[in-house]
Amino acid sequence: MIALNHIYKYVNQGGTRVFLLRDISLNIAQGEFISIMGPSGSGKTTLLNVMGMLDEADEGEYLFLDQPVKALKEKQRSALYKQHIGFVFQAYHLIDELTVYENIETPLLYKDYKSSERSAMVCEMLDKFNMVAKKDLFPHQLSGGQQQLVGIARAIVSKPTLLLADEPTGNLNSQQGQEIMELFKKLNSEGLTIIQVTHSEKNAAYGSRIINLSDGRIEN
Amino acid sequence: MMTNHFKIAFRSLKRHKAYSFINISGLAIGIASCLIIFLVVRYELSYDTFRPSYRNIYHVITEDKGPDGTDYTPGIPFPALEALRTDFPQVKLTGLYYAYGTQVSVGDIQNSAAKKFIEETGVFFCEPEYFDIFNATWLAGNASVLKDPGQVVLAKTMAQKYFGDWKTAIGKMIRLENAMDLKVAGIIEDVPFNSDFPTSVIGSFETFKNSRYYSYTTDWGSTTSAFQVFMKMPENLPVENVQTQLKGLADKYYSNTGPHKISNSLQPLSEIHFDTRVPGLGDHVTSRSTLMTLSMIGLLIIVMACINFINLSTAQAVTRSKEIGVKKVLGSNRKQLFFQALGETNLIVLLSASLALVIAWLALPFIKHIISIHEELSLFSVQSVVFVLFIVIMVTALSGSYPALILSGFKPAAALKNRISSATIGGISLRRGLVVVQFAISQILIVGTIVAVSQMEYVRTADLGFNKEALLIVASTTDSVAQARHETFKQALLQLPEVSMASLSSDIPSSENNAGTNFAFDHRDDEDFTLYTKQGDADYFKTFGLEFAAGGPYTATDTTGSVVVNETLIRKLNIKDPQAAVGKQIRTGGGKWKTIVGVVKDFKTNSLREEVKPLLIAARKSRFCMVSLKLKSTNLAKSQQAIEKVWDKFYPEYAYRSVFMDDNIEDFYRQERQMALLYKIFSGLAIFISCLGLYGLVSFMTVQKTKEVGVRKVLGAGVGNILLLFSKEFTVLIGVAFVIAVPVSWYVMSHWLNNFAYKITISWTVFAIAMAISLIIAWISVGYKALRAALVNPVKSLRTE
Ligand SMILES: Nc1ncnc2c1ncn2[C@@H]1O[C@H](COP(=O)(O)OP(=O)(O)O)[C@@H](O)[C@H]1O
Ligand SMILES: [Mg+2]
Repeated sequence: MIALNHIYKYVNQGGTRVFLLRDISLNIAQGEFISIMGPSGSGKTTLLNVMGMLDEADEGEYLFLDQPVKALKEKQRSALYKQHIGFVFQAYHLIDELTVYENIETPLLYKDYKSSERSAMVCEMLDKFNMVAKKDLFPHQLSGGQQQLVGIARAIVSKPTLLLADEPTGNLNSQQGQEIMELFKKLNSEGLTIIQVTHSEKNAAYGSRIINLSDGRIEN
Repeated sequence: MMTNHFKIAFRSLKRHKAYSFINISGLAIGIASCLIIFLVVRYELSYDTFRPSYRNIYHVITEDKGPDGTDYTPGIPFPALEALRTDFPQVKLTGLYYAYGTQVSVGDIQNSAAKKFIEETGVFFCEPEYFDIFNATWLAGNASVLKDPGQVVLAKTMAQKYFGDWKTAIGKMIRLENAMDLKVAGIIEDVPFNSDFPTSVIGSFETFKNSRYYSYTTDWGSTTSAFQVFMKMPENLPVENVQTQLKGLADKYYSNTGPHKISNSLQPLSEIHFDTRVPGLGDHVTSRSTLMTLSMIGLLIIVMACINFINLSTAQAVTRSKEIGVKKVLGSNRKQLFFQALGETNLIVLLSASLALVIAWLALPFIKHIISIHEELSLFSVQSVVFVLFIVIMVTALSGSYPALILSGFKPAAALKNRISSATIGGISLRRGLVVVQFAISQILIVGTIVAVSQMEYVRTADLGFNKEALLIVASTTDSVAQARHETFKQALLQLPEVSMASLSSDIPSSENNAGTNFAFDHRDDEDFTLYTKQGDADYFKTFGLEFAAGGPYTATDTTGSVVVNETLIRKLNIKDPQAAVGKQIRTGGGKWKTIVGVVKDFKTNSLREEVKPLLIAARKSRFCMVSLKLKSTNLAKSQQAIEKVWDKFYPEYAYRSVFMDDNIEDFYRQERQMALLYKIFSGLAIFISCLGLYGLVSFMTVQKTKEVGVRKVLGAGVGNILLLFSKEFTVLIGVAFVIAVPVSWYVMSHWLNNFAYKITISWTVFAIAMAISLIIAWISVGYKALRAALVNPVKSLRTE
């Protein structure tokens, strides 16, 4: 599904080139559940953003579903992104002014679903996450764990094939973290490819493969 | 503490350059506009206030209550002066005769080579008593020199103009209208410009009375607006008493037996400059409603600037949350922070006010080109300093306290964590309300401007019912010497290749002149409405391109005194077919019966502010005082030179005066044109200020929504979606503002249009245009910032955690 070949990413700071990613080569197959680990500042988020097409590599080749991402036109890339990729954030990033229902519905608005389809899909998510009773609440009325559940529901409501999660449990206690991991495992078993960044060995163990990053490099 | 606050304020200004620029320039423009409007309004309100007896001087005006309503004239019959003196022995009274456009010859006055001046502001005649009421500073002589005939008093500038040095002027002679010689017997200090009594040449009243040139009469039956009477009330005499007494005297003075009831009433000096019912002796009368409108616009502009300030400052508050958080942690209390924020506002307002002073100083010299103020307004006076200080305090309080409250109210923990967002700042509805107000104001101003400008355009291009193209009006006088040469002069002009037609007349078709009289038709009794008259020779109709509905013009050889009337008169006499009026007889005043030979189609007899009046045109030669020429040549300047040469040959002792009909008509609507221009300028400024504000508000929104935009982009939103997100709210707000602006502007502008008898109707397109303009302006201001926000990579906006 994902093939990274000799990926480099850098920024120029005061004349010197600072590398964020160095020579990353990585293959991820459909249905895998990957955990990325590494110290703070090692480039995990950067790698995730590159794989999620939010950011572009400066050098190297990135194939997503066998398509060279760099060569795609903006429109094609955006279509590919909308169809296949869902994001979950450490800080949830729910929209404060919208209710749980509306937050989950938002990505569907940008993906041209009809209104009836939308409500069916959102209701399916609410059911699946046991949040039907909370659908009219606002984010600040929910606990952190519940907010992250909404964040995950929002990420997968349009049925992406790849879920990217950047420290999804970073702001949660271990009990809540464990519930999220169980959920990921379940989603993975239903066929969703998941790549998560985590600092916790225990949570990393839920994945089928662990990739260690250090200073922008993959360690073996 | 204070210096610390100012230091921080200054540095913060420097750090946020764009924000400071918007804030300071917007506010500066607002304050400058306000200040200029203040100076103009104050100047208009200052007319004649320098007179020590300002509160006690009254003008005796004449009311003519007829079946068509009440007419007011500033004049009074000549004998009224002595009658009033007898009836009000305790009151000081003076008469004042005013002859504008008088020719004054100086130097070798016996000779036609004398220097000739046309005094457009007029020559006055009065008794010494005038100076008991209206003060003057005497440089030479005193009021009593006006007791004797043949004496004249000059203002200093006038004496300098005539004789070079005012000190040598005493004893020298001047000649008026080639008819009267006067000896300079006194010099007074110039009358200030802000006076409606521009008395710079004052002849003795005896001269006027004895002159054959002017038509002084002891007849109570005729009133000219050129002769006016003023009173100075003694302190202990209530004005109301005099007023009632005057009313009671009406039937004694006037033969009020017919349908018209004539009486006198008092107009305080403090009203003369603002009473549009009667023209003043000065350059212009400004209605109080005009001054109110101007002041309102000034107020609106400053309100807009304050709203900008509030919106921009709250926008900025978010970005400064960290500073506030740190200060709170370091022990600053809310009150200190509040005053610090207020101090910053105050600094900005002070900077803006200084900039405003510079702008106003640069703009003031142009004011006299826009409105009728003939001296340069001075920026620096106690009042304007007080006014600016007042504005600074008001604006600081109005626009500083809310943002200061917000800033000082930040919770330190949240502020430090950068968790301050739209939700925590609150007051969204207030901000929305302010934006609605701003949009509503600018839409009202846009509608007002469009309506005012199109009305002026309508007036300017309106069909007056006669042809005003290439018409040159040469002014002559009615004195018998000039009269005698009129016909040969006209014939000589017709010999010029440049001139195709010429006509002698008393008046042009559309003018402010109202020569009205009672009249009778078809040997019946007097009708109960006033007939207006103009005098013109047989070529009048041809020269001005007047068309006939029935009959035709009288001929040059006609000696029976045939006349022409207009359709309005026929209509008022309830005659359906104009043809039926031809051949009937009509009589004006108590004169001879004259035959109507033609009915002209209606043309505008006055300005478009008034309805067409019932009119009679006759050929009374003694009233002719102008020659109207239809020019062939396209080189109008050259034609004018040729005409002037002919004039100098025929009238060497008279100065040449001419005006093009177009310009004359333009001058008619000078005040409206000036107002339209003022509206354009100030509403343009107001709209500009609201654009600045909108730009600021969008900056506010982009700061607030950075993260949300990032999240939405991650969720699949495109640039278009984000632009929509930003503009949706503004579009709704503009819609709400529109709902407010439509009825308000419709009401205000219909009111304004009621000043005109001929006016445009306000169509829905005006509102549509206003809506479109504000939408376009909003989209442009929103567009740039929103686009920038939409194009930011979400990776960046979501990174700070
Ligand atoms: N646009 C950028 N400009 C400069 N430095 C950056 C940029 N993006 C990331 N970095 C730096 O690159 C390093 C890797 O960042 P990141 O991928 O967020 O690390 P991680 O997620 O592993 O903590 C960090 O030191 C970060 O400060
Ligand atoms: Mg990270």
